[in-house]
Amino acid sequence: MSAEISTKKNWFTTISLDAWAVTLALLLALLVRLGVISKVAW
Amino acid sequence: MATNAVVTQTSGESVIKKLLQTIPGILLLAVVGYAGKFIEQFIGRYGKAHHVTLPNIEYVLWAILIGLLIANTIGVPRLFRAGVATYDFWLKVGIVLLGARFLLGDIRHLGGISLLLVLLELALALSLMTLLGRIFNLKPKLATLLAVGSSICGVSAIIATQGAIDADEEDSSYAIAAILAVGAVSLFLFPLIGHAIHLSDHAYGLWAGLGIDNTAEATAAGALYSDAAGKLAVLAKGTRNAFIGFIVLGYAIYWASKGQAKVLENKAKFLWQKFPKFVLGFLLVSALASTAFFAKPQVAVLGNLSRWAFC
Repeated sequence: MSAEISTKKNWFTTISLDAWAVTLALLLALLVRLGVISKVAW
Repeated sequence: MATNAVVTQTSGESVIKKLLQTIPGILLLAVVGYAGKFIEQFIGRYGKAHHVTLPNIEYVLWAILIGLLIANTIGVPRLFRAGVATYDFWLKVGIVLLGARFLLGDIRHLGGISLLLVLLELALALSLMTLLGRIFNLKPKLATLLAVGSSICGVSAIIATQGAIDADEEDSSYAIAAILAVGAVSLFLFPLIGHAIHLSDHAYGLWAGLGIDNTAEATAAGALYSDAAGKLAVLAKGTRNAFIGFIVLGYAIYWASKGQAKVLENKAKFLWQKFPKFVLGFLLVSALASTAFFAKPQVAVLGNLSRWAFC
């Protein structure tokens, strides 16, 4: 029971920071490729 | 079962709460980054308006300086701390997106001898900086950052490598400042020397592209000589930049394999555990951009997104 609770509690952190970063970056790249994001000024 | 449901709901709420807590800090990071950009642009505009050549100090270094100033004077207020702690995440997102700006195809555009010179420059700069690091007893990771900064390209390569080898921010600030300082001096010296010894446009362009480490400064120093020299400087610099993936990957593997003596029997597993996986994302985006998966304006958008993530 306690193991189950701790797994559920940490679901967000079970995925590493690297994986989250790559996921977000690839998602952004895909949105740019699909033309959803087309104008980003810097 | 009911207990489980309650726990799940609570954990869901706490995740949302945690995410909300990071918003002020993330906004602060964006403001500091944009302030860096503003200072960079202001200096550029001032130089143009007064017809003086000022060194191009990139926004990253200004943002680091502003960050240092805040952290060492008033300190980071409690409200912003959770968000500021996420900078590592944004750095990695930025590095993956940065891959779009390093095209393997750039290597093809440079002629045979010039390409050979680029390879020679990479080998010499990497070994010389490593040797100098040892002679002057620099921290090994700082020497790595300086080697990458001086062989490939200034700021972006240093940031990418810092993330890949998990070096201190302090080391990357030193390395960026050193590369930019040398670049600033080169910006004035290269055209003077070039004219003094009557270098051809081709020879000068290649020299500037190989010798100046920061892309903006290499471009400017080339263009100061002539248009043709400027174009070749950009091409030579672009070719150096294209090698970033190999160099970062090499150093990431090298540093991940450090201290593996105890677990030799499971070398591959150990290496994989320590290996910064996001570098693979960087290589993937670079490979996609090299195969023309993205249109040119889309590459520019990805570059801008990467800069936003870096700030």
